[in-house]
Amino acid sequence: MFAPGGVTRANYRLLDQDIQSLGAQALADRQSTLERSFLLQGITFTVYGAGNTTERIIPTDLFPRIIPAAEWSMIETGLIQRLKALNLFLADIYGDQRIIADGIIPRDLVLGSPAYRRQMQYLFVPHGAYANVCGSDLIRGQDGNFFVLEDNLRVPSGVSYMLANRDASRRTFPHTFREAGVRPVERYPDLLLSTLKSMADEARANAQIVVLTPGVYNAAYYEHAYLARLMGVPLVEGRDLTVHDNRVYMRTTDGLQRVDVIYRRVDDDFIDPLAFRRDSSLGVAGLFNAYRAGQVTICNAPGTGVADDKAVYAYVPSIIRYYLDEAAILPNVKTFLCREPAQLSHVLANLDKLVVKAVGASGGYGMLVGPHASRAERETFAEALKADPENYVAQPTIQLSTAPCLVDGRMEPRHVDLRPFILSGEKVVVTPGALTRVALRRGSLVVNSSQGGGSKDTWVLTGDPGGQTEP
Amino acid sequence: MMLARVADSLYWLGRYAERAEHMARLSAVMLNAATDRTDAADQAARIALASIGDPAPAAEAMDAARVLVLDRESTASVVASLASARENARQVRDQITSESWERLNILYLRTTVANAESAFTTDAPDFLQRIIADLHQFKGAAEATMSHGDGWRFMLTGVYIERAQLIARLLNVCFGDSEDAVDDHVALVSLLRMACALEPYLRVYTADINARCILEFLMFDEDFPRSIRFSTHRIQECLTQLSGGRDVGRHDPSRIAGRLNARLTYADIDEVESGGAGALLTAVSAECEAIHGAIRETFVAYPLEMRLPA
Repeated sequence: MFAPGGVTRANYRLLDQDIQSLGAQALADRQSTLERSFLLQGITFTVYGAGNTTERIIPTDLFPRIIPAAEWSMIETGLIQRLKALNLFLADIYGDQRIIADGIIPRDLVLGSPAYRRQMQYLFVPHGAYANVCGSDLIRGQDGNFFVLEDNLRVPSGVSYMLANRDASRRTFPHTFREAGVRPVERYPDLLLSTLKSMADEARANAQIVVLTPGVYNAAYYEHAYLARLMGVPLVEGRDLTVHDNRVYMRTTDGLQRVDVIYRRVDDDFIDPLAFRRDSSLGVAGLFNAYRAGQVTICNAPGTGVADDKAVYAYVPSIIRYYLDEAAILPNVKTFLCREPAQLSHVLANLDKLVVKAVGASGGYGMLVGPHASRAERETFAEALKADPENYVAQPTIQLSTAPCLVDGRMEPRHVDLRPFILSGEKVVVTPGALTRVALRRGSLVVNSSQGGGSKDTWVLTGDPGGQTEP
Repeated sequence: MMLARVADSLYWLGRYAERAEHMARLSAVMLNAATDRTDAADQAARIALASIGDPAPAAEAMDAARVLVLDRESTASVVASLASARENARQVRDQITSESWERLNILYLRTTVANAESAFTTDAPDFLQRIIADLHQFKGAAEATMSHGDGWRFMLTGVYIERAQLIARLLNVCFGDSEDAVDDHVALVSLLRMACALEPYLRVYTADINARCILEFLMFDEDFPRSIRFSTHRIQECLTQLSGGRDVGRHDPSRIAGRLNARLTYADIDEVESGGAGALLTAVSAECEAIHGAIRETFVAYPLEMRLPA
């Protein structure tokens, strides 16, 4: 927000005036109004404790993060390029596997990934769009450049927070919002709906789209209901669906009705007890066979996780070059594959400087932030590394950029990342906005909501005030 | 067309919201009557508790009310009903408008916070009054913002089935046995209050409060929204629209509802009074059960092989 010397950067100048004229008390009031409105709307996640369960809101910060147009346009083209390449990669992996034959990526690394689904081999996916909804995590390093930290191609969540945060920031800073020229994010639900429609069998007129949720006890249930409501399509659970003669039906008050496209918010493993995990009660028996038979489309396709695997990640720049013959617009963070002996010894020697992640884990679990860990923690982790090197990757600790947040009535810098949402069906579209995740503890670099992270709105501007970039 | 599970949840949402309101009102009237140390006050408490199937009145009206309102273990209590109503609403969050959801959610959050118990102890009448007012707001917001299509009809059917049963049970406790019918003035006024019927009753019958008129009003009045006949009329109306033009099979709930409504439409208070109201009131409860079962059979838990599209 501030340039060196304490001068407010051009894109934050309007907001700064707003903040100054409001004063601390008014800001604190608005913050509590906002939190109450989230609670009332039920934008909550459930914390299961001993004996009682409580609902908490995801902490939300009032101040929007602001990204000028030129910078966004680079992010946008970079994300489109990346998702196109990843979809081509998925089509290839679940097809002839040329990229493996050509020696670009090791066979065991891909086929040995826990997210690889052999059931998907040679299965037709409309438009080659395997990952229809993608939420990539971007970070900005100290040099000011954006990097991709992670691609989320399975069942990425958080888009409802992007929309709810927008509602809130628009109410909090109406004046600045109007003056600044902020690009709208509100079209996300109808863009999602057209993406899903484009995945339906062309022969089926008026395709029936549904959102499949694990149910009301899922942490992201609010989001599932929210998207279904805004798209105007039924929110179904596994028990509402049934498969007959390789066709999927939902049980309505009018009898059974055919379903064409399922936007599923249930993990691969749980969508069909016959094809994947047999103990799953969240899915629909026979669903995968109906999918294989081309009678229904599942979005995202099962098995997309092989392309956001933390080890495959290291190869994404090569993947982009291989399929598109282009250099990656958004760079990766330097990644050491512990499966390579030379890289492993480098990682072991530099554990105090690196972040080490388990390949299969997500949500900030199974990870060591070297500089913040104790000697004992590092030693324990080193043993785990040596025992199972294939399961780990390591990256330099990146000092995430910070953004001003309202903490205890004061403005304080907190580390943030950026999760834009990319849709891919017949076309690839990026919604001009994102979820900015915030590490609420001072100095913390972990932004995951399961680990004390919060979020804030992200304004993508129509122009470039003063031609400057975001701090 | 709507999901069977959604229809079921909306139906139960209606039932639980109605139950919560009724229980809150019973408790409020009971506490109000208890401020007099008379036999009639005890009788009011007995009526309230007996009507919800609690035969052993607690020693103190306040203790009885506390259980009725706050006991989460008892499925009939106000907070348990509110929690169930809200849980059903959450299941179908995509089907009800934000306006109605927020009303219900506010109410749920307010009655389940840690200090709800002390709020009740400090000022029980106010606590209960606010619950009732909030439920009216919820129903009002739903009426004003939701589409009055099938989902709405399922919810309304739930409201009126619950209401018909609750009122029938209340009247059955008071007048079911003609030997032992309630005739004390204070107790009769409490009864009208429990049915939220005092003011509308007075406008029809003036301040002449007697068992015969109360029975006539709460069973047969065409216009009073808490009379049994008004409820059965609505149930029939909703179910006729819901099964209209559909192959609903052999358990058509609108047929049972129509039969019940006809019985109330053409009944005669003299006949009822001479033969004892108990038989008809018991029949109302039983027929409501039958309608409930038929709704499940027809719209929710039907056998799949019968209902594949052509």
